[in-house]
Amino acid sequence: MPSSSQSSVGSGALSHAYIQHPSLRCNVPDSRGLFYDDANRLLICVTSDQVFSWETAPPFNPDVSPSVDSISDGPILSVRFSLDKKVIAVQRSDCEIQFFHRETKKTLTHKCRPGSESILGFFWSDSPLCDLAVVKTSGMDLFACDSAMNLRLVETKKVNVNWYIYTHESRLVLLASGLQCKTIAGFQLSTAGVVRLPKFEMTLATTESNSKPIISPGDVHLVTVYGRIYCLQVDREAMLLNTYRFYRDAVVQQGSLPIYSSKLSVSVVDNLLLVHQIDAKVVIIYDLFVDSRAPVSAPLPLLWRGYQGSDSSSQAANMENESAESSTSNENIVMYEDAWTFLVPDLILDQTNKVLWRVHLDLEAISASSSDRTSLLEFLQRRKLDANKAKQLCLGIARALILERRPATQVTQAIDVLVTAYSYSVKAGIYKELKNEKTTPTDGASSPGNERGRASGSSIDEEEEVEINVPSGPADEQQESQLSSPAISPDELYKFVFASVEETMVEESDYLVAIITEFLRSISAEKLKVDLNIYVMTIRLLAHSKRFAELSLFITNKIIEPSKEVALQLLESGRQNLRVSKLGLDMLRQLSLHHEYISSLVQDGYYLEALRYAQKRKVTSVRSSLFLEAAFASNDMQHLAAILRVLSELIPGFKETSEYYTFHGLLNETSSSVAV
Amino acid sequence: MGMASMSSSSSSNGESLKLCVFDLRRGQNEGQELDKILFFFPPDLTFSSQLSVIGLSEGLITFTRLFSPEAACEVIEAERHSHVFYESEPDIWIVMVIEKNKEIEAIWRVDALQKVLKEVHSLFVMFHGSIRSLLDKEPSGGLIRSHLYPFITDYLNDLSVGKKLQLPSFRETLKERCTVQMLTLARDAALEVQSLVGVLDSCAGTLRCHSLILFHDLLVSTTLSPDDTVDLFTYYVMRLTSNALSSGTSSWSYLRKGTSLSQTSSRSTTSPQLLVSTDSLPSGNGNGAAGRVIRPLQHNKWSKGKDGFLVTDIWGKDATPTIWLQKTEERVHLLAYQHKCLTLVLLVPTMAIVNGELDISFVKHQVTENASAKILKVEEKLSKGWGGENAYHVSGYRYLLVDNDTEVSRASPSGKVATLAKETLLAVNKLRETVDTEKSRTKEEKDMEICIRAKNNAWAIARLTRGKELYMALEKASDTLLDATDSVQSFSNRYCNGTFSMD
Repeated sequence: MPSSSQSSVGSGALSHAYIQHPSLRCNVPDSRGLFYDDANRLLICVTSDQVFSWETAPPFNPDVSPSVDSISDGPILSVRFSLDKKVIAVQRSDCEIQFFHRETKKTLTHKCRPGSESILGFFWSDSPLCDLAVVKTSGMDLFACDSAMNLRLVETKKVNVNWYIYTHESRLVLLASGLQCKTIAGFQLSTAGVVRLPKFEMTLATTESNSKPIISPGDVHLVTVYGRIYCLQVDREAMLLNTYRFYRDAVVQQGSLPIYSSKLSVSVVDNLLLVHQIDAKVVIIYDLFVDSRAPVSAPLPLLWRGYQGSDSSSQAANMENESAESSTSNENIVMYEDAWTFLVPDLILDQTNKVLWRVHLDLEAISASSSDRTSLLEFLQRRKLDANKAKQLCLGIARALILERRPATQVTQAIDVLVTAYSYSVKAGIYKELKNEKTTPTDGASSPGNERGRASGSSIDEEEEVEINVPSGPADEQQESQLSSPAISPDELYKFVFASVEETMVEESDYLVAIITEFLRSISAEKLKVDLNIYVMTIRLLAHSKRFAELSLFITNKIIEPSKEVALQLLESGRQNLRVSKLGLDMLRQLSLHHEYISSLVQDGYYLEALRYAQKRKVTSVRSSLFLEAAFASNDMQHLAAILRVLSELIPGFKETSEYYTFHGLLNETSSSVAV
Repeated sequence: MGMASMSSSSSSNGESLKLCVFDLRRGQNEGQELDKILFFFPPDLTFSSQLSVIGLSEGLITFTRLFSPEAACEVIEAERHSHVFYESEPDIWIVMVIEKNKEIEAIWRVDALQKVLKEVHSLFVMFHGSIRSLLDKEPSGGLIRSHLYPFITDYLNDLSVGKKLQLPSFRETLKERCTVQMLTLARDAALEVQSLVGVLDSCAGTLRCHSLILFHDLLVSTTLSPDDTVDLFTYYVMRLTSNALSSGTSSWSYLRKGTSLSQTSSRSTTSPQLLVSTDSLPSGNGNGAAGRVIRPLQHNKWSKGKDGFLVTDIWGKDATPTIWLQKTEERVHLLAYQHKCLTLVLLVPTMAIVNGELDISFVKHQVTENASAKILKVEEKLSKGWGGENAYHVSGYRYLLVDNDTEVSRASPSGKVATLAKETLLAVNKLRETVDTEKSRTKEEKDMEICIRAKNNAWAIARLTRGKELYMALEKASDTLLDATDSVQSFSNRYCNGTFSMD
């Protein structure tokens, strides 16, 4: 197991999720507030007449300076850049939104009818129908906006709205109405158009003390994992987090997660759901991919870690720890303090310190605390964010399973997981050796479709026909400097697992052969290919334990596929067993490796057969002295004479070589009776 | 009728077949000659007649050893009898004396007869251990005699039809006894099979179990040495195939198929089994120390239990069969599990079984627990690829392929061989005899090609290369030698990976 996870255990600061230096810091004097534009992933800081914005794409660069735009003075309720970032929209009050064109400096003010309705908020959209959506108490107005910044109302959705939530990630807006705010109307404003979701009621338990609890916008979270869209809703009376999954034509409640804190927030990191139990100051991780609603790991605190350079978590320290204060940071971070805002999907904005954190997962720690390795491997194979780490962990687990001599069935399961994951990622086009470019939006688009294939058999098949997809778009783009998938190719499995354990396991070759067989079966079932060195290794192992009967079955049934390397290994291992070396010879012949075949025949003393073969196939590459020396060694002068004659015919100019003279001379000396 | 049959009734004019086992190290003093005799058939022959047969054999062995100490005589052809010799263990000889018959059917090949002797001995050793070890255990010889007598008698019973014993004649010349016949597997099926083998390997904990997997009457996989595989395979075909279990007779096979009909007819009735009726066997003789003598070759003793395992009371009530492995001289429990036409033979080292039947049922449990899914899968795959009885028929050819290294053979189905003219079969028989002689002359493997034109213009062709043998009969009268060689060539390229190609 990786050392760093051990040390994190040792320091007593066990954790599965952490925030890490550097953070994104807004040192803007006279700041009037911090906003987050999730569509453009911008952290926005406003002063009385200026808008500062920072890109938040990972990794954070603390030295980057923000872009600055001037706007007119006034109150600011929210700020969002248009999707082309040419326009800054500022909500000034509950009836006024102002637009500033960053290049033309043109401004525009949009107002609603005061008194009868008020603006709850707005967001930009990339749907073909509209560019801007304004949510009001009376419904939602959809506007088209041209380059000259003229707003044109295209459609109005009339709904009573108490509050709404929207994430650009899901392109989904939920409008809450009703006395308890539990009646939800939803629209998806995706590139495919505007889709109205069926209305649904959220579940709320009632108690005697609170017969009419009300849902507030902070109690509802839209999360996107594995290309599926879920809504999570806190039910404080029942202490449950209800989950709903969105399909195009249905909204289905999918069970609930228990909660341990009345204050709650969620993050999504690498398709995992992190539920922050704020009062308890712990985070619980769930993987909604699996049917089980059991958490991935036990509740543990969120951790703060020092600079990235000191990657190891031994440097990490819990914030409640004194060591944190003594670190180079001058932030006075208190975990889960009230001023923390959780941003979609994985950011935390600390309003007090004016810094932005990103939540990370410690895959090493998670795997160290998991005992079911098959599901752990499945879990790791689903990780994309730190694919490299996940891959290394998977390799480590596979090696450990074999070295610990776990039951073959268990190892088989593990191998099957890795092989199917690889096969799947190759078919889906996700697997590439190394890639440095940005992921294309198709990644995001393809995943839900693939998802469906993989998730078959899960509890929601009935409604599976049409699923709401996560729209593709720039929001899905992520800078990736490394692997895009933790999938492990059969060649890598051979190299980093089987080859690396061979030496230690050589005395338990029976076991290792059984495992390799399962591996071969697994890759054959997925119609994959493997480095032929695994065959060479299998032959070595079988020969080592003298399982020659099986070795010949492996060869004749082509479990070990023929190749030159395999044939040579058979000859090598065949030194202990004639049958095996014959298998090697046969293979050389079948592969038409004439040179090797002839040389091996001569080595085995079948020099006449070898020469006959050479003569028929017109092979002249084998040293003629081989035949001659073999015949001379066997002291058969008749053979020697015959060989000289055949070679003279086979090789042009042979009679002029020194070899011919040498052996011809020897022949004449020893027996003058044999004519050449 | 596929075998040369001869009356073995003692009442008829002299015994047409005699078979004896004797030990040259015993009875060297005058008056103790009877000590040598470990087995004699027919049993009711007078001692003096028995001694005269053995005395002659012993004389011939001693005489020929003068010239060839390593390999004494194999056969002596007298005017009216042939003596076939087989030295089964050092100084322990099995000799078969057969009457030469005017009947044309009584044309056989010595090597084929020797293989019969080899087979009965190998089977005996598998079940009881070597003859020498039993002699060492009880030097008086009572123990070995009490084991040999029922065993060989039961074995000969299999060769008998009605009142006649059938020996392999020229009609069986395209078959090879003491070899196994294998099922050819596609790679994916082979991987499934091997995966199942891996599970069976570890069914008894840390001590590795050997296993055989069989389908119909063909071998699918083995972890045993070729010799042990042949013995178990032979026994399997004789007694354990699903066919043998249901009908109570040997199943069809390349070797026995030809006679199965007549055998069934003779066995289904309780008609006179000339050799022995079960009760007439001496049961008390020498049994005092060794307990009861097991008779694994008895018929109708195996059946399929509810859990899929085959059960028998041959080894006693509720006792698990045990056998000896030649290669390792290891004693193992034999467990056979059958699912449809798929049979698994699991050999559990006796070392691994400490608590008797308790441990055995644990192993059985392990098999059903861990392997049943794989067994179903393998059975399904094999059934899907199963080509039936004539799967290995190649139209236009009648052939026999033998791989001496792996002791594997494959031949045209006997139904197809039966269509050959008698002249052709006789020619192939002659050809094989020639090859046998040639092979015994030089012990090292030789490449060889022989073609014979039979009286009916058929071609009989043999090709040998480095331990592999191909025999073939081609009955196209118009074929020239060149045509015939071309046919062999293309057969070799298509079905033997070019092993016998001589281009």
